[in-house]
Amino acid sequence: MAKRVAVVHGPNLNMLGKREVGIYGGKSMDEINSEVAAEAAGLNVTVEFYQSNSEGELVTFIQQCRGRTEGILLNAGAYTHYSIALRDAIAAAQVPTVEVHISNIFKREPFRHVSVLAPVCIGQICGFGSHGYVLALRALMEERFDPWLAEERGR
Amino acid sequence: MKKNRKYLVVSGPNLNLLGTRKTSIYGEGSLEDIHAGLRQRAEQLKVGVECKQFNSEGEIIDCLQEAPGQFEGVIINAGALAHYSYALRSAIGSMLLPCVEVFISNVHAREDFRHKSVIAPVCVGVIGGFGKKSYLLALEALAKLGEG
Repeated sequence: MAKRVAVVHGPNLNMLGKREVGIYGGKSMDEINSEVAAEAAGLNVTVEFYQSNSEGELVTFIQQCRGRTEGILLNAGAYTHYSIALRDAIAAAQVPTVEVHISNIFKREPFRHVSVLAPVCIGQICGFGSHGYVLALRALMEERFDPWLAEERGR
Repeated sequence: MKKNRKYLVVSGPNLNLLGTRKTSIYGEGSLEDIHAGLRQRAEQLKVGVECKQFNSEGEIIDCLQEAPGQFEGVIINAGALAHYSYALRSAIGSMLLPCVEVFISNVHAREDFRHKSVIAPVCVGVIGGFGKKSYLLALEALAKLGEG
């Protein structure tokens, strides 16, 4: 059966392509979602997309991923840097979560250098624009296509 | 016509010990396993890759200084140097080549001193937490940048 992955976008990501394109690029969220969907099809993964500007709605959605999805790709936008509630939701969901950022947050303002979510995620990918989402999906799903990695897991 | 792009992969101190130390954090495969995986992935991506490891900070700097002209980009796992080597940061900043920082473990889930990377601000991006796959994803990221 195809694995199910939720792609979750936080606040202001619905404005992608229209705001600060020098930082976030000219692609819209829908265009990025299409790229992820195309990659997912090749990996036999079912993806669902969710965006909310509201922290509480994101918390509820992530809670509901528990037992329902095999992975979460999360770009929590600015909530990354201060939402302990989101962090607790990820920990509670017990679903492997990859943190994605379009920009390299470490090149930007100091308040963006800390992610309160990172410690409860399996890993972080930042700085590669929309391709970061595709890489994150591969990070979550691809090990079975790499025999040398599958072998390592099995040891 | 597509240029034959070649990338440099540099691993820092103690990464030669992969597979023999703290395997619960770093996994059981060796650095040579990673290099073999990278060469395989490079072939699929139709790019070249050259992999090196140094325990010495100065040797990494020498190596990075020689990279421009030979390589289109660099993948670096600086190990512990990531957290304090301003000399490495300057060397990366001086290369004028895209550099991707990788970590095997999720450094943010570990000791406080590992949460900060002094080289991340001069890199294009960071990939960490995916075990040895972090290196493969970094190669894909650079190959994609090279297409653009």
